[in-house]
Amino acid sequence: MKAIRKIYVDREIYSFPLTRTILENCPDVPFKVIRNKREVDEMLASSADPVGEGKKYLWLTRQKGAFVKPCPCTPHYVGCNYFIINAALNCPLDCSYCILQLYLTNPLTTIYVNLGDLWKELDAFLRQKRARFLRIGTGELSDSLALDPITKTSGELMAYFRGKGDVSFELKTKTTNIAGVLAGPASENTVISWSLNSARIAREEEKGAPPVDERIEAARIVSEKGFPVGFHFDPLILYGDWEEDYARVIEKLFRAVKPSRVRWLSLGSLRFPPALKPVTEKRFPQTKIIYGEMVRGRDGKLRYFKPLRLELYQKIVGLIKYWGGDQVPLYFCMEDTEVWRKALKKRPRRKEEVELILSPRDDGSRSLT
Amino acid sequence: MGRGKFRIGGMKYETLSLAKINLEDERFRTSFHPDLDRLILSIKKVGLLSPPLVCRGDKGFILVSGWKRVLACRDLGLPAIGALVTGEKNGLRLFLLGLYENLATREIGLAEKAEVLSKLLKFGVEKKTLLRSYLPLLSLPATAAHLEVLLDLSKADNGVKEFVGEKELPLPLVQSLLQFMPVEQKLVLPLLRPLGQNKQKEIVEDFWEISRRDDVSVQKVLGETEMRQALGSPKLSPLEKAEKIRSILRRKRYPQLSSWQEAFASTLRKVRWPKSIAIQPSPYFEGEDISVSFRFKNEEEFKAGLKKLQEVSGKQEFSRLFKR
Repeated sequence: MKAIRKIYVDREIYSFPLTRTILENCPDVPFKVIRNKREVDEMLASSADPVGEGKKYLWLTRQKGAFVKPCPCTPHYVGCNYFIINAALNCPLDCSYCILQLYLTNPLTTIYVNLGDLWKELDAFLRQKRARFLRIGTGELSDSLALDPITKTSGELMAYFRGKGDVSFELKTKTTNIAGVLAGPASENTVISWSLNSARIAREEEKGAPPVDERIEAARIVSEKGFPVGFHFDPLILYGDWEEDYARVIEKLFRAVKPSRVRWLSLGSLRFPPALKPVTEKRFPQTKIIYGEMVRGRDGKLRYFKPLRLELYQKIVGLIKYWGGDQVPLYFCMEDTEVWRKALKKRPRRKEEVELILSPRDDGSRSLT
Repeated sequence: MGRGKFRIGGMKYETLSLAKINLEDERFRTSFHPDLDRLILSIKKVGLLSPPLVCRGDKGFILVSGWKRVLACRDLGLPAIGALVTGEKNGLRLFLLGLYENLATREIGLAEKAEVLSKLLKFGVEKKTLLRSYLPLLSLPATAAHLEVLLDLSKADNGVKEFVGEKELPLPLVQSLLQFMPVEQKLVLPLLRPLGQNKQKEIVEDFWEISRRDDVSVQKVLGETEMRQALGSPKLSPLEKAEKIRSILRRKRYPQLSSWQEAFASTLRKVRWPKSIAIQPSPYFEGEDISVSFRFKNEEEFKAGLKKLQEVSGKQEFSRLFKR
């Protein structure tokens, strides 16, 4: 973890096992045990770029709220009944479109080390949700594997979910940090998934993330080890050569990974709250992605004008079906029923119906539909 | 107050010839060409009740606080005024005298706050202290980003600062405006002047985003034929010109949306949609729904409205409203 300058440790959790693991795995990074992080907050507030600065420091603390929450999705669009595990907050990658730049009041890269509480909470949560298929993952407020080389928590999480057949546990990443995943046996209910984009968008807008080819290669290795894999083409971005560029990635993907091993593939187009625009402009002055023809959606977020979105999705879905066949379970992230109907010929009205589309079939990794 | 000298706190009250106050020395000044009419009227009627604060300098007295009052007296042609003369020599302490007086007695606009922060920096106050102490004092969020915008504003042309002060522009709009080169700011300002804040924001954003998206300057955008014709038209008032430019910019910034809006409007014209019945597609055509509303006072009017709708829906072009 070259990018980490210093680790701040909450005095309360200094003796926790995960704290020790992280400090042992960062022998060259100075650390400081502190009672409260006011001094760190002040240091960040006085920085011209608190978000970028926050990525250079780790804050190890206790998750005082709930670890497990329903994915908030967005109002007025079709959700997918996903649950998120908030074991970390923020990540060392720096994507120009990341909404965390706006949402995080604490821009420090934070790891919650009280895993004992997480296991207890998960036990209770799964008991409560039993007899129902469930999708849950860690990659919502952080990248699931970006910090895995120092936390080594992927193995523990996979071990926890192994054998829990009615749950699909997802580790979602843009990285190639798969050593921890490969260290243990493969599990049919652990889905390792990658956020993919065109090579150009990955290069220009996803600072710190490996090139798309390397992500696909990591997916190939993981799927050949026996894990089901997932892919998230999100955010899809319109620019001059988008069609050719996305076609190239999709072709590469399905040449590397068997479509039958793809548990799910989600599509979402660029969207963000209007307040993110000035933040992105300031932090990424070269980017042009925020100047697309975007209008306010029903949730107040800026998103591409609907006919442009539909054209984008219809072409991407066509490419996926061409290279991956008709059986790859596709879904949209934060889209409405018109998009589902026109681009996927499906009519889910509620998130439970999307959940059904994504639930595993008996014969491998296909969906129920 | 009468003529003569006497002490108030550590200061002396003196009657000074206006010519002895060096108005070229603006080291403590934070206000911009204010509108003095009401103050002039007040001084004319009841005299200068509150004396300005000055200190001694090499070339006469330096004005510490009370620019508006002194400028108003000068405009009235008064030869001398009563003023408080302080013996304080430290620049920062003098500046703070004026600042705290202003904070206690009047609202300070954004451009003036920017000037205050810039001057504090010049008087040796560290950025860290500005953030911690002075931004909250000026009722501003204590973040480095806000400080940078305000320091940028303090460096802007006087025309921009005056405009920000006069129109009481909010910080995000100021931030957007400052993204332009000074020469571009000069081109954009006259278009903003006749408009309200929402439209000002729209124009600034559209100019900026078009120029970023297409890699062109604001001059080039304004140099396009349609723009030049609008700007050069002798028939259009400044407000009409600003509105025309705004509408051209919208079309350039949102070409697909504009063409959908135009197609929708054109269909309404073709079916001769009744003016008494409002029809509205979903905002930005994001939803498939279209809403229709009309007012009626009785059954007869209600039925008449329905009849009009029935007639319109029978026309051949009506189905175009639902084409997506």
